[in-house]
Amino acid sequence: MRACACSCGLLLALAALCIRAQGQRLPELPQVDASGFLPAIRAQVELAERNARERPRDPAIAGALAMTLHAYQQYDAAERAYSRAHSLDPQNFDWLYLLGAVQMAQGAFDRAVKTLQSALQIRPGDLAAEIRLAESLIAVPDWNGAATLYCRILDDRRECPQAWYGLGRAQAAKGDHAAAIESYGKACELFPAYGVAHFALAAELRRLGRKPEAERHIAAYAKNVTSEPPLDDPLFQRIHELNLSSQAHLQRGAELEKAARLDEAIREHEAALANDPGNVQAHVNLIALYGRAGDPGKAKQHFEAATRLNPGRSDAWCDYGVLLYMQKHFDEAEKAYQRALEINPDYAEAHNNLGAIYEQLGRLADAEKEFRAAINDRPDYPLARFHLGRILVNEQKYDEAIHQLQRALTPDDDKTPVYLYALGATYARAGDRAHALEYLQRAHDAASRYGQSELLASIDHDLKALQSAE
Amino acid sequence: MECAGCARPLQGFTNFGSTLNHQRPSGSGQGGPLRRRDLLKGLATFGLGVPRVRAHASPAFRDVATEVGLNFQHFNFATGRHYMPEIMGAGAALLDYDNDGDLDIYLVQGTRLDHGGKLLSPPPSGWKPGSRLFKNLLAETGELRFVDVTEMAGVGHIGYGMGVAVGDYDNDGFLDLYVTNFGHNVLYHNNGDGTFADVTRQAGVDDTHWSTSAAWVDVDGDGWLDLFVCNYVDFTVEGNRGCSSPAGEPDYCTPKMYHAVPSRLFRNLRNGKFEDITEASRINSSYGPALGVLCADFNGDGRTDIYVANDTSANLLWLNQGDGTFRESALDMGVAYSMDGLAKAGMGVTLADVENNGGLVLLVTNLTREGVSVFRGDAHGQFDDATADFGLLQPTFGYTGFGAQWFDYDNDGWLDLFIANGGVTLGSAWPARGSRYAQRKQLFHNEGCGRRFRDVSSEAGSVFQIAEVSRAAAFGDIDNDGAIDIVVANNNGPVRLLRNQIGQRRHWLTVKLESEKVNRFAIGARVTVIRRGNDALVRRVHTDSSYLSANDVRVHFGLGDQPEIEAVQVSWPDGSKERFASVKCDRIVTLRQGSGKLL
Repeated sequence: MRACACSCGLLLALAALCIRAQGQRLPELPQVDASGFLPAIRAQVELAERNARERPRDPAIAGALAMTLHAYQQYDAAERAYSRAHSLDPQNFDWLYLLGAVQMAQGAFDRAVKTLQSALQIRPGDLAAEIRLAESLIAVPDWNGAATLYCRILDDRRECPQAWYGLGRAQAAKGDHAAAIESYGKACELFPAYGVAHFALAAELRRLGRKPEAERHIAAYAKNVTSEPPLDDPLFQRIHELNLSSQAHLQRGAELEKAARLDEAIREHEAALANDPGNVQAHVNLIALYGRAGDPGKAKQHFEAATRLNPGRSDAWCDYGVLLYMQKHFDEAEKAYQRALEINPDYAEAHNNLGAIYEQLGRLADAEKEFRAAINDRPDYPLARFHLGRILVNEQKYDEAIHQLQRALTPDDDKTPVYLYALGATYARAGDRAHALEYLQRAHDAASRYGQSELLASIDHDLKALQSAE
Repeated sequence: MECAGCARPLQGFTNFGSTLNHQRPSGSGQGGPLRRRDLLKGLATFGLGVPRVRAHASPAFRDVATEVGLNFQHFNFATGRHYMPEIMGAGAALLDYDNDGDLDIYLVQGTRLDHGGKLLSPPPSGWKPGSRLFKNLLAETGELRFVDVTEMAGVGHIGYGMGVAVGDYDNDGFLDLYVTNFGHNVLYHNNGDGTFADVTRQAGVDDTHWSTSAAWVDVDGDGWLDLFVCNYVDFTVEGNRGCSSPAGEPDYCTPKMYHAVPSRLFRNLRNGKFEDITEASRINSSYGPALGVLCADFNGDGRTDIYVANDTSANLLWLNQGDGTFRESALDMGVAYSMDGLAKAGMGVTLADVENNGGLVLLVTNLTREGVSVFRGDAHGQFDDATADFGLLQPTFGYTGFGAQWFDYDNDGWLDLFIANGGVTLGSAWPARGSRYAQRKQLFHNEGCGRRFRDVSSEAGSVFQIAEVSRAAAFGDIDNDGAIDIVVANNNGPVRLLRNQIGQRRHWLTVKLESEKVNRFAIGARVTVIRRGNDALVRRVHTDSSYLSANDVRVHFGLGDQPEIEAVQVSWPDGSKERFASVKCDRIVTLRQGSGKLL
């Protein structure tokens, strides 16, 4: 009897210990001070937190809180919430994977390695998890571990550019530069806009003295600096969609604008304002967007909103000046640029645009002053140098004009043919026929390269005239 | 990796006569009370075998600022409107302004940017505005003690101070100060009598933009120091743009919200005046928001080049062409971006031979979630990203680094690393740790012989456990005991004077150069300590690098437990080389150009 009672007591004690131990192991929910957050975001975070406290043993709710915090880069708090979700549901891949991701975001790569390895035991072969694990191994650094993992990924997926790039990194770190070149090359072949792969390949080629090839890849990198091959990651997509901040909308809007999808860009900016009507940047961007879309009325409304919220936004004044200039309201445009310059005397674009107005009005001395100011503020401003060069040519100050136009040739872009043409013409007017021919020929080649047929025709006409004048 | 010092090859020994000025550490045998430490040194010299303590019984550093009278608090005058300059300053300099043999300290101060708003943390009543100069009384009294001599010296500029550069621009033997501001900069000429004169206008070196770090550098090899001034962005108070954190909280903007302003280069005309050669030198053909600068010969052609760390933009390496122009070559030489080809923040910079193999290793501090960038140079002047190799990516990933330096804190002959950290945006903050921008400082021990750096911050002293918004870090031996100390300037916080408590337990050598042929303090020279059976140790003479800071112009060597110096070789900035024999360890020596054996 006594032995039985002792056994029961022991069992009860053990049970209590187990329960207490389980309770002790469960990570606490994070305390988040959202008082300074944007109202819509604060409401979102507070709701997620409230849910998690009302249902403290629900892993999905804890995970939802974690994902919400993750969306706003509250990594420390997100880590604790993911840890809790994982403790409540240890066989759920999602919480381990995302826990590993926030550990990576905090630089805890060694912990991320262990976490992601555990996640892959639940769901072997998950590409996004494997890529993140490999990246963590690179950061630790465990070059051999990373190389092995990338090779394993490539065994199943030969067409994975991220794995080729990563393998290249591991090979380069281990001193196998020939192999690294091959791997980087494969990555670039599979995804030609893979900026970082081109950069890494260029570095390896330069090391071997293969400079011309390196320069080609640097040029490819420069066109695609932030471009990466897409990685299908539904969990990260969910986190991205949780983000209500105006920054996310503005970023999407900027990407759309770059892709010339103007209407969609406008919609993103308006969405940003729906969540945050006081977002000045959104208003400022919409001045230019509506201006380009041919709706000056809306553009003006956003200018007024921007300057009401922040009268010191020099870019709002400058963009408004452009709008007025497009509408040929030169006096008002002049005032807008001048206001921009009162706020920021070093605003190169405002100086340049003001110079353009003065040139339009025939005030060449004032125009010259403004172009010089623009160049002083931004020495790498080809357009301002071009404008100044033209004025100097008209004043027959050929040497200085040539100096300015020469400086306008860097960087090479789709306006370079015009600058080369102007330089050729200037040399011709200065009586230097040899240089004139040289630069007109270069202008011809550049205009061909950029497919500028009208300009090409004009250049060819002048080139023939100069050649026949021999 | 081969490590010559580890295999200890024998080296030949040649004895040459030389004229050396052996300067004993101040406070020993010069009339003041003899301290226990000095007595021990004396005993060691006479070979009585006082054991050197290997184990570090005390932590490496202790903050002694208030104890020694270095009472200075930086105020950023924030009003809650998040003006960018508020979060970026400010600087510190270590210099012997009065040539009494000990290092004095200059600290840069902020002021009001906006007279409308209420200050979040106003200075106390009775507080003295403006930057401050603290004189070290070590030479006079034998004790480390500082006294504020700002008013007497006339260097208390009141402006929104950023950084400071130290150099003797007129070769009169006294170090001068160039103070950068958000607004007008100031050149203080050292009059040699304890006072300075503001000669900015006459010299023609003002710049009204937002200037940050600056460096004195002889770009044309004429023996006179020229001046490079970093400029940041075109922020104006009236044009302040409201920015926010990822969660929409008001926050400081990043430099991407503004336009970069070109840095400036001023050539010394040798008559107290300078000429702005920014355009002529082509140094404005590329630019970014510049925060850090250091000057060194990167490609071994004998000319001093200029490396600029740009914030969120490619770093720049200006290779001196020798004809008055510079060619930008950072991308070519592998120091523009880290491995991933993306521009990182780029604040503090430091460069040295960290592996004792004659190669250069360049470090740039960056933002939280970027980690530092470490570039290792090869024999051809080509650099590779070696951050992970050195074990520095992971431990620095969670920090926003500013002032930094390779320096030998424990005098074991291997250069270690210190980084002053502090956030700039809420995105770089770790709310769980308390303050919104505060972060801890870090110390990394170089394990030597190709091994990685080890984070020893937790053992380095309680000052490393304090989270602050640290910015400048200036390095030098403030008590002349052979161990490098650190002055850390905190944004809107007290200055810290990290006194080194362990370096003096091993052998060391400090070298001060003097010249009548090149710039007086031989900035730009290279000093090599040649030791029998050990790696040669190479250091460059400079006051630049770190962030907004100026370092001690003397060159320091930790010699570990191998005190025998075969010779000291100096490569002077004019290309000549001299060898100095009979140099003993554990002292400060002055080597004069022309007094060694010409090589």
